[in-house]
Amino acid sequence: MQISLEELEALKGQSFPGGTYTIEPYRHWLMNDAVGDIPSTSGPASPMEIYYGAMGGLGLTLDELFALAGATAADGPMFGEAELEQRRPLQVGETYTVRGAVTDVVRKEGRRAGVFDIVTFQLELVAPDGEVAGVSTNSFVFPRRD
Amino acid sequence: MQIGDELEPLVIESVPAEAMKTVAALLHDPNPIHFDVESVKALGMGERPVNQGPNNMGYLVAMLGRAAGGRERIRRLRVRFLGNVFAGDRVVARGKVESIEERDGERLAEVEVWLERGDEDRVLAGTATILL
Repeated sequence: MQISLEELEALKGQSFPGGTYTIEPYRHWLMNDAVGDIPSTSGPASPMEIYYGAMGGLGLTLDELFALAGATAADGPMFGEAELEQRRPLQVGETYTVRGAVTDVVRKEGRRAGVFDIVTFQLELVAPDGEVAGVSTNSFVFPRRD
Repeated sequence: MQIGDELEPLVIESVPAEAMKTVAALLHDPNPIHFDVESVKALGMGERPVNQGPNNMGYLVAMLGRAAGGRERIRRLRVRFLGNVFAGDRVVARGKVESIEERDGERLAEVEVWLERGDEDRVLAGTATILL
């Protein structure tokens, strides 16, 4: 096991460095075109930007996020659940402050899957006026094979 | 919109591998399963690139945005990832209205949502709230 249960539980409440995220118009166009949605370079943004902003502004790379949970990409971490909450429409071109933390950790054992950990984290996208525009909650599943 | 109504589905006839490359670059996602067929083969995952999970969510957002009259009217989306989508797959994003309620002067619909791959194989499932 790459990480003890005590180390895992100590992650709960740990804040991310955070940062900022700008919904770049060209990027918004390309990301929406890639999924069959309406490409646009202005106006209300796709709520998917809440997820992209959370991951882009949490202040860690995906590899660093996995390392926090004692894992690497080679261990096969998987997306478990994802939730987007759009409290007010996000705007293409606007810059948001991103802040958040690990909110839950759970160790489970399945008959087939063996031991695995579920790490849940939540990030907020804060608009320039200080109001939270979006909340992204995600959980990753980390198989623990040894 | 009424309880029990099915939303207009969004059909992607063939998930494009090229879009996965664009998204990998834009998301700074180094995982080769999204763009390198040889890596997919080496991992025993088949012979086609694997779509990014957020792309699969994006199909549901596109479907919901059209049904709601704008993406800004999607208040919440929660999904569980149940399986992979591969390049060339046909996928259909679907939704069904489960309930409608008034809250703070707004009319909101709770919608069951899912993404089908091929013959009714659900690879993504969850719920959404949209403003009517």
